[in-house]
Amino acid sequence: MTCREARLNLSLYLYGELDFAREEAFEQHLSSCALCQRAFAREKAWHTSLNSERRDVDVDLLMECRQDLRVALAQRKKERSLSWLMRWMEPSRWPAGRWSVRLALASFLVFLGFSASRWMERAGLAESGFGGGSLMSVLNPATARVRDIQPDGQNGVRIIVDQVKEREITGSPEDDSIRRLLVAAMNESLDPGIRVDSAEMLRNQAGERDVRDALLNSVRKDPNAAVRLKALEALRRFSSDPATRDTLAFVLQHDDNPGVRSEAIDILAPAGQKIDITPDLALTLQSILRSEPEDDYVRNRCLQVLQRMNASGDVY
Amino acid sequence: MATQAETLGTLAAVRGATDRSDEIGLIRAAQHGDSEAFEQLVRAYDQNVLRMAFNLLHSREDARDVYQEVFLRVYRNLPKFRFDCSFSTWLYRIVANLCLDQLRKRKVRKETSPAIETTAGEMDSLQFVPERRAEVDPQRRLLSAEVNTRVNEVLEGLTPRERIVFEMRHFQGMRLRAIGDALGVTEEAAKNCLFRATQKMRAALGDFV
Repeated sequence: MTCREARLNLSLYLYGELDFAREEAFEQHLSSCALCQRAFAREKAWHTSLNSERRDVDVDLLMECRQDLRVALAQRKKERSLSWLMRWMEPSRWPAGRWSVRLALASFLVFLGFSASRWMERAGLAESGFGGGSLMSVLNPATARVRDIQPDGQNGVRIIVDQVKEREITGSPEDDSIRRLLVAAMNESLDPGIRVDSAEMLRNQAGERDVRDALLNSVRKDPNAAVRLKALEALRRFSSDPATRDTLAFVLQHDDNPGVRSEAIDILAPAGQKIDITPDLALTLQSILRSEPEDDYVRNRCLQVLQRMNASGDVY
Repeated sequence: MATQAETLGTLAAVRGATDRSDEIGLIRAAQHGDSEAFEQLVRAYDQNVLRMAFNLLHSREDARDVYQEVFLRVYRNLPKFRFDCSFSTWLYRIVANLCLDQLRKRKVRKETSPAIETTAGEMDSLQFVPERRAEVDPQRRLLSAEVNTRVNEVLEGLTPRERIVFEMRHFQGMRLRAIGDALGVTEEAAKNCLFRATQKMRAALGDFV
């Protein structure tokens, strides 16, 4: 191989695109020619330099492209599914020259649609007066309620339906409107899960009068023990509040769930802390000592509390 | 923290691990309407497709258009794909044709400059892509900017076909035979294109190395 040939093949050699014989000849020449070695070094250098100038495509652009493609494909699929009927109606799918067949089929489809609508009307399935929604969805008990029914005097009936419209509201539990909604949910929701979540979200708002009242109400009256427990947790910081203490005493005496009663005594008389016990509360604790079984946690805690007060179970 | 290049490199390595039989399985599944298989095919190739389009066209918007058109064409025509050539050859044929069309249109419109209009005036579109390698050393940054300018000038001076061949060989690492297949020319013709492109590049970058 001559120097000229070697110089022409520098890049192809670097790319590994020379055939075996030419590659051998190139390497042989290079090993014996200092000038071509320098030219080869320069060739390698600009290849490297070019690579170092190369930019990567940024990830944001890639993500945008993928998203665009997803949207375009979804659109295409939609169009495809809609156009199957159109394709079916294409002339190429019909016997050549039989336009009358097409006409007959089109007439049949029109007739079919007409008959179906008449049948639905007679069967009472057609929509009437609900602006496009089906009767079944209007009467979904989860979203609608019949408020009034009036005969229209022509063997018909006029029904007034209240519909629930879904709406999303976001905000901090500290906002008045959000807080009021959460309080309403805790008091009125039929779903105990919603009531538990409301109590949890209101935990840091228990300093507000309406929230504390709602929590106290839940502790006394909510039929679900999990809701009562959650409400009790939210009231933990207010164990010295008279209304809260009354409620806790009520729970200790009347709640039928041992977990709720245990939580109540722990809030009322936290272990290792000074306890402010009024005579009324002491009487309550004594009555619990008498009514609870020997090994009951609540009974034992009541006993501890009374002993810390230096009052025996029989003092009061 | 992994750099963008490392992330893409890792993804490319993962893609590389997908062997040919897996790919055939994916293609067949996609031909039968499996959307997930099609998405996997797209993800196996889309970084290279986008990188190639972006580096050839120097425009985010154009690269984005090419990306979308390539994969929509693949989606449309995949049911007709009969494995006469490899999937990648077929795919790169589409990419090359779309990029060639764009480059030819630009030549006609004399829109060869990679400059784009911004609120701050005219700027090189590649300046929007973060450059990490030279940012530490000011001297190196200056040299890098000069090399960058020179490279752009040379690339703009190449014919569309030379440019695509050079891109596919030098940056995408494709073999000349595959490039010839993708462009619908012989391997020898692709080699000639590459030869001319490297000569121009050597002449332009010789002073810097």
